[in-house]
Amino acid sequence: MDVVFLFAMIIGFLLIGVPISFSLGLSSTIFLMLYSDSSLASVAQKLFQAMAGHETLMAIPFFVLASTFMSTGGVARRIIRFAIACVGHVRGGLAIAGVFACMLFAALSGSSPATVVAIGTIVIAGMRQVGYSRDFAAGVICNAGTLGILIPPSIVMVVYASVTDTSVGRMFLAGVIPGIMAGLMLMIGIYVTARVRNLPRGEWQGWGEVADSGLDALWGLLLIVIILGGIYGGIFTPTEAAAVSAVYAFAIANFVYRDMGPLRRPDGKSRALIQRPLSPITVLVHPDTKAALYEAGRLTVMLMFIIANALILAHVLTEEQIPQAIAAAMLEAGLEWWVFLIVINIILLIGGQFMEPSGLIIIVAPLIFPIAISLGIDPIHLGIIIIVNMEIGMITPPVGLNLFVTSGVAGMPVMRVVRAALPWLSILFVFLILVTYVPIISTWLPTLMMGPEIVVN
Amino acid sequence: MSYEPRSMIAQAVNEVEEVAIALILGLMTVVTFANVVARYVFNDNLLWALETTSFLFAWLVLVGCSHMVKINAHLGVDALVNTFSKPLRRALTLISAFACLIFSLLLLKGAWDYWAPFAELQPTTGRIIPTGIADVRGQGWYEVEDIMMPDALNPFLSNLLNYGERYEKIPRAIPYVILPITMLLLVYRCAQSLYWVWIGERDLIIVSHEAEEALEEASSQAPAAAATTLDKGR
Repeated sequence: MDVVFLFAMIIGFLLIGVPISFSLGLSSTIFLMLYSDSSLASVAQKLFQAMAGHETLMAIPFFVLASTFMSTGGVARRIIRFAIACVGHVRGGLAIAGVFACMLFAALSGSSPATVVAIGTIVIAGMRQVGYSRDFAAGVICNAGTLGILIPPSIVMVVYASVTDTSVGRMFLAGVIPGIMAGLMLMIGIYVTARVRNLPRGEWQGWGEVADSGLDALWGLLLIVIILGGIYGGIFTPTEAAAVSAVYAFAIANFVYRDMGPLRRPDGKSRALIQRPLSPITVLVHPDTKAALYEAGRLTVMLMFIIANALILAHVLTEEQIPQAIAAAMLEAGLEWWVFLIVINIILLIGGQFMEPSGLIIIVAPLIFPIAISLGIDPIHLGIIIIVNMEIGMITPPVGLNLFVTSGVAGMPVMRVVRAALPWLSILFVFLILVTYVPIISTWLPTLMMGPEIVVN
Repeated sequence: MSYEPRSMIAQAVNEVEEVAIALILGLMTVVTFANVVARYVFNDNLLWALETTSFLFAWLVLVGCSHMVKINAHLGVDALVNTFSKPLRRALTLISAFACLIFSLLLLKGAWDYWAPFAELQPTTGRIIPTGIADVRGQGWYEVEDIMMPDALNPFLSNLLNYGERYEKIPRAIPYVILPITMLLLVYRCAQSLYWVWIGERDLIIVSHEAEEALEEASSQAPAAAATTLDKGR
């Protein structure tokens, strides 16, 4: 009963317009003051420890930073050129290239909104120029952008791994095949639509352009090699891999692509290093560097303040033994694993519409994880199911981050984006069912690369 | 309705906040990267690196959260309040802003109570509302785990907090001092936000759809970028 009051408070605060982070923190604090003997000092300590005590979560600011350098550094533009060179010539080619570019960018950035902004700003405008409708363009990119959290690296996976003590490396690997599958399904959907509606196609520009644009984009795409290779090779921890990729992205943006920093010229061309020999030092205090750091810092704070407060709530739930109570009730009811998976899909789909993914995972994962384990569901598989649900949550109102971002990028009202995204959303739904009931899609690659996993309950 | 600093002072404060956020994130990256370099290039391990980055991470978020209240960048649900009439929405937003202020005040008391003993100061009594000053033994001897104490600081800090006994690692009072400072800032920003809602300067205290405006600016430059990309493609 007490817990019903707790969740009623949270939802009440959310609906009257209190920020998510404050709703979670305030409700948990009020609950602690009423029903336990914890002190306010312990709440403050929890808040500090949410950051200082979770090494894995530290990967988040670094991944955000890497993705900021990659977005401002013109990597998105090069990836799109490469994508168009590869698939632009088939019917609906630019839309398919947009999905392909989103997949590639998702492999550099850990977030979905970032993917939509980086790819969407360029591709949606480009699609409109060659004759696609605004709705079609926005709908495609809005959906494809959600791959940002499924294709590694992924901030949401880092959060899941952190709260459930699973391996970040395994989660990242597990996302590869589902990510490619979801991308291909979207592409097939577009191709079929394009044949039916006779949508425009580009011209084949020859293998030269593919090679040329591929080489140009290569520096950016190497980032994913550093991250995955570094983690699996045991060279660094996921957090270090994230920091290294941030430094790498910084170096590439400033000194190879030179789309920002001291070597950029206002006319769009760039200077050679020899013309500004001191630039490796001046770049550290360059306004572009500060702007990127601030931008990434702001995003980190927004995410982490929600996560930190969600961790306070998670602490309250654990202290009240809620996960155990729910697990016992569900097991007593003789719940089959496949029914349980339907239940969590429904909970997550509803929750995902009101909450930001990382916050929701922190609250829900501790509740369902023990049940899933005792029902014999693989933790990695569960993680991927949760992530795909979060993807769908990002493109369904009222709190769909991708919707807001797309509406901004495409310059159309949110409700119109919702309608535009709907047909493609059905593809993601089919994909969700597939991922939910075919565990091998998620578990095959991590098991192959890292050996079978040991589940310790 | 994004935040625009109006006066010179507000502009300076905003710059300080932005630089602080950028600097902390930059330091985190450099320290973590340096540790990787140390391990593979110099075959050495910077023991203090991980703990330093963890503390900086906490500092980043705590320093940032009040800035985010100021620039109104905390995420929330506006679907329901947007369907309400203006007066009702205003009333609810006032309640929301007040709730945020309450939370920040609770956190400020908690932050002080947690930090004070580490700094040989007295926490407040009372569970929710401070009723007085407690009289407990300080815990100034507590140290962090890995960060060594620089010798230059030792005589001063050990006299101040540890009855003259020198510290081997830095005292806990140092990293945690950010808690009371930033929570005080949070109280100030929440009060300010409540005031802005009261005088009608701020409509909602969450970001949600305001993101659109910011992005519209970005997308207005997009066609040019798209054109160049497509041209290169041809």
